[in-house]
Amino acid sequence: MGQITIFYILAFLATACSLLVISSKNPVTSAIYLVCDLFILAGIYASLQAEFVAAIQIIVYTGAVVVLFVFVIMLLNLAPNEQSSLGLKLPDIGFTLLTVLSFLIVTVLLVNEQSSVSGGALGPPEAIAQLGGNTRAVGMTLFTKFVWPFELASFLILAAIIGAVHIAKKDPKPADKAYGNLKASNREKAIYGSP
Amino acid sequence: MVPLDHYLVLAMILFCIGTLGIVLRRNIIMVMMSIELLLNAINLVFVSASTYNQNLDGQVMVFFVITVAACEAAIGLAMVIALFRKYGTIDTQFLRTLRG
Repeated sequence: MGQITIFYILAFLATACSLLVISSKNPVTSAIYLVCDLFILAGIYASLQAEFVAAIQIIVYTGAVVVLFVFVIMLLNLAPNEQSSLGLKLPDIGFTLLTVLSFLIVTVLLVNEQSSVSGGALGPPEAIAQLGGNTRAVGMTLFTKFVWPFELASFLILAAIIGAVHIAKKDPKPADKAYGNLKASNREKAIYGSP
Repeated sequence: MVPLDHYLVLAMILFCIGTLGIVLRRNIIMVMMSIELLLNAINLVFVSASTYNQNLDGQVMVFFVITVAACEAAIGLAMVIALFRKYGTIDTQFLRTLRG
């Protein structure tokens, strides 16, 4: 009983935070609500006895990805008229299709109530407890069964680092030109003195 | 005990909210935050199914999804910076070079 109450509170908060993420006017506000949403989802993971996933959710998403978003928002320094608000056009065809599709999915989920999946035990199996907790069990799975995908993931991160640096790098030509102009103006200032 | 359907319906609601954000927002940074919402909804499905089937593969998959999401955020934000430097805006209304 307590568990389902906690789930409903967390689910309501997660839905509200997600709606606020997509509907706030300022991107920084959206980023803060995204942090709230990720924390609440980490709480849901923890209530599902997936402590390792909850921890890396907080560390990686909240600690790295959202900080990256906030840095880019700060770097771009958008003018207030460029912060577009939610341009809701309700009779849009995509919106209508999406609503109908999600309603159909909910209906199918609720009508086809399969007792085989909804009656699973929530408690951790004895094997996990014997292995020494969720993190250790996930680590054992990761480094035995999924060791090649793990190596591929590290390769993907390496490629992403190199790609991000290359894409965000300034073009050498305009940078040199700007620096040359700056030097020229400084030289002018040095010759003619500052006004 | 919470039935599995509750988690699936919650994940579907979050996925629909994220899709709405992708469709409706015009700021590219907001579109990328909506993509993060989508990935979180998928992670919720993985974790709940993993717990209910008592199989840890789902949680390992969440690890990989988070890895891919971090890479996607890094590359995408680098592209946003490059776009802003080239065109001076990140409004999708004005970025229509690829529209035929």
